[in-house]
Amino acid sequence: MRLSPDQFWTYFEWLFVHSALLYGFLLVLVLAVLGFLIGFVVALLKHGPAEGFLQVSKLIGELFVVDIPGTSIRRVGAIARLAVKEAIRKKVLVVVAVFVIAIMFAGWYLDQQAQFPARLYISFVLTFTNYMVLVLGLFLSCFSLPSDIKSKIIYTIVTKPVRPTELFLGRVLGFTAVGTLVLLLLGSMSYLFVVRGVIHEHEAIEISADGVSGKTSRQQFHSHEFVLDETGNGITNETKGHKHVVSKVGDKIVVGPSIGDLEARVPIYGMMRFTGRDGQVANDGLNVGYMSEYHKYIEGDSLCSAIWTFKNVTRDSFSEGGLTYDMTISAFRTYKGDIVTPVGGEVRFRSIDGSAVTEPFPFKVKEFQVDQRSIPFTGLKGSLNEQPADLDFFKDIAKNGEFEVVIRCQDRNQYLGMAAGDLYFRAEPQAFWWNFIKGYISIWLQMVIVICFGVMFSTFLSGPVAIIATLSVIVLGFFGFFVDDIIKNADSDVGPVASLIRIPLQSGSGTQLDLGNIPLERAIRVVDKGILICVQTLSKAIPNLNELHTADFVAYGVNLFGGLLSRHLTVCAGYFLMTGIISYFFLKTREMAA
Amino acid sequence: MATTTASTNPSVSVTDPTNVIVETRNLGKIYRDFWGRKKVNALKSLDIEVRRGEIFGLLGPNGSGKSTTIKLMLGLLFPTSGRAFVFGKDATDVAKNERIGYLPEESYLYKFLNAEETLDFYGRLFDMPASVRRERTEQLIQMVGLQRARRRQLKEYSKGMTRRIGLAQALINEPEFLVLDEPTTGLDPIGTREMKDLILRLREQGKTILLCSHQLADVQDVCDRVAILHQGELKELGRVDSLLKVQDVTQIHAKGLDEKTKLEIKELIARSTGEMLRMDNPTTTMEELFLDIVRESEQRPGRRGSGA
Ligand SMILES: Nc1ncnc2c1ncn2[C@@H]1O[C@H](COP(=O)(O)OP(=O)(O)OP(=O)(O)O)[C@@H](O)[C@H]1O
Ligand SMILES: [Mg+2]
Repeated sequence: MRLSPDQFWTYFEWLFVHSALLYGFLLVLVLAVLGFLIGFVVALLKHGPAEGFLQVSKLIGELFVVDIPGTSIRRVGAIARLAVKEAIRKKVLVVVAVFVIAIMFAGWYLDQQAQFPARLYISFVLTFTNYMVLVLGLFLSCFSLPSDIKSKIIYTIVTKPVRPTELFLGRVLGFTAVGTLVLLLLGSMSYLFVVRGVIHEHEAIEISADGVSGKTSRQQFHSHEFVLDETGNGITNETKGHKHVVSKVGDKIVVGPSIGDLEARVPIYGMMRFTGRDGQVANDGLNVGYMSEYHKYIEGDSLCSAIWTFKNVTRDSFSEGGLTYDMTISAFRTYKGDIVTPVGGEVRFRSIDGSAVTEPFPFKVKEFQVDQRSIPFTGLKGSLNEQPADLDFFKDIAKNGEFEVVIRCQDRNQYLGMAAGDLYFRAEPQAFWWNFIKGYISIWLQMVIVICFGVMFSTFLSGPVAIIATLSVIVLGFFGFFVDDIIKNADSDVGPVASLIRIPLQSGSGTQLDLGNIPLERAIRVVDKGILICVQTLSKAIPNLNELHTADFVAYGVNLFGGLLSRHLTVCAGYFLMTGIISYFFLKTREMAA
Repeated sequence: MATTTASTNPSVSVTDPTNVIVETRNLGKIYRDFWGRKKVNALKSLDIEVRRGEIFGLLGPNGSGKSTTIKLMLGLLFPTSGRAFVFGKDATDVAKNERIGYLPEESYLYKFLNAEETLDFYGRLFDMPASVRRERTEQLIQMVGLQRARRRQLKEYSKGMTRRIGLAQALINEPEFLVLDEPTTGLDPIGTREMKDLILRLREQGKTILLCSHQLADVQDVCDRVAILHQGELKELGRVDSLLKVQDVTQIHAKGLDEKTKLEIKELIARSTGEMLRMDNPTTTMEELFLDIVRESEQRPGRRGSGA
């Protein structure tokens, strides 16, 4: 599992620093202008300019003055209840039965001998539930309104004081309730499936003559080895992604339940920057020309360094054991050297203002492994205001929970490769079940988004077409990053207007646009920039469900950050609002009996 | 016409705008297909008024635009030309629905609900609190005689039962104005009679009713005023009694006449240079009027000169 830096932004960083709020406003603006224009053109064709303008204005005015204030909770509730009743009477809960059968068979097909069975089980149930619930939401939401219109039941609904807002809200709430019920059932079954599939017990066998080491019995295609300390306690080695606690009770050696497979580690990530050979800030690090785009490199025995800045790291996130941190740093050798000795580096902890800094902690790169390390909270050798001192981590270095970690490579002409996610602090793990629930909340959010879009499309399309439209949106959403890429890499001379002009001029996009008229060229650039920004903003109107897919967090035992989840919640609320408003206008202007 | 339109309730003044429940001005509807091409010109510049306290009938053969008119009044359709006002507000205004009850041409209800659930659901749409809903549901189920089927899903209902629950649904909010699209279709003779009695009773309670039908007997029995439509055009509008009164025709109804007296009457008519037509049921006259209008309008399209 590979985290991208944006995933560990805090909620407020995302909202303000990374301009999510700004994009939201831009999107509202662009959609509003676009909606008004389209509405106006339609009204223009029907009623002529003056009357058309009046009609559109009236429509918008009524949303805020009449229909939103007039929306009644009881009516929304009635429509929602009806949606639930309908779903249940039309036997939607059959999906639950299908799910039960599926996971029963899955027990046979999932590879029992997998390296990480817990991971496999968890990602299977989460992914499977995810698809089932999305398909359910899709069908529920796309067919309901069109079938009411087709069967003309809508006649008896809209001739009651029912507002378009209520038709949308009621449906979305109703289907969400059905989906939630199904999700709860599937979720609890999945939980049992995972726990029952993973939990197992060993017995201690092959105990050595002195009674302090031995092996466990073979269970679920694996066994462990263990050594007890003088107090009669110990931990087995790790196989299949877990360990067991072993202890001596009386004369017997008891192997406890597994640990480490159903957990939710709490990594605390920081932002990373690099300094170049001169010790000055160079944002990108070095590119060694091959391997991965993901990793950037620092050169050995130079001033090159990678600096992480951490925030909100507090004492209560950690247990007595000290400040625990993990590194997954890789090496790039420019010469073979002593192949047995790994490339070495050093870690330093320092305060933001640089006044307190620890002595370097040397390390050797452990390729393809998580290097689990820890330092004590107090008595750290280092210097305070240039004077040698014993440092207290939280008093001297992490004031207000903020500090920096500096990594350098020690070996001349060797390189260390890393990305932001390659060094993180490991706080006290959270309960697995809570992480599991958070994974389901992610699925729930995706479902709500699908339902919103389904209902929106069903306000003006027939059922099957609404399904296709919703599916298209989901698929398009997966490629939303393309638009971002194009726009990021596009210089202003390849915008749509410039490109149009280039066609007759037969000028390639690699050259500058040359019309011999500077103001005109400048105008074209401005217009193109505007269009590109609008397109980029509009591309945000399409949800990327991939971003909301968090099964990996649960499967890999990483705590799903609250910031990420609240972000997804916000995005979901945004889509809810957007689809609601669009639905409103379609319902309001639709002739139900036509 | 204006002089003969005094409604059943003489205290209702036509000039007072609050007494006009529905008003259509130059109302027209053209159905178009997806591409905006004209398919049917279903209604052509209709001007009618429905006044407080009357039973107004829309009469016309199949496809003459009755249901279209009703749908325009309820905002289910948007007019191509002209406007419709209900309670002085535009027909597309949702707020008017608080005071309206509508029975569609077929009962369009959720088949998976039972009678009680249906009425409860529609009650909620009127934002009625639970106690009121329970009371109204009970009352209406009694009224339409569905006590024994109240817990059965509507998909099991017969045509007549569906019609009854449809009517109950239209009455859930005790509407001031009731719109009934062919209220008697699917009902047996007893059901039809009950429906008519009910309509009359509702008028006595002060409600205004607009109904459309091609059952001439219905219209004749209950309506105060009728509008006759044919191919989307208004052919005739007026009080039922005055429309049916054919000025140069005298009808004689008597009981217990012996053959001799009848002969004498015939002779008397013959002597006074009159001509004996027939002695029968006035319903036929309604039918006659209707057939006349249809026949005539097929020859000469446009509003009839006489009578209107
Ligand atoms: N949704 C529609 N799309 C296209 N044409 C329609 C639609 N609804 C009705 N029409 C047409 O409009 C005309 C009037 O139909 P309407 O339903 O108003 O007749 P009606 O008087 O109620 O007839 P009936 O007595 O059979 O109910 C008919 O020619 C019909 O085919
Ligand atoms: Mg009809």
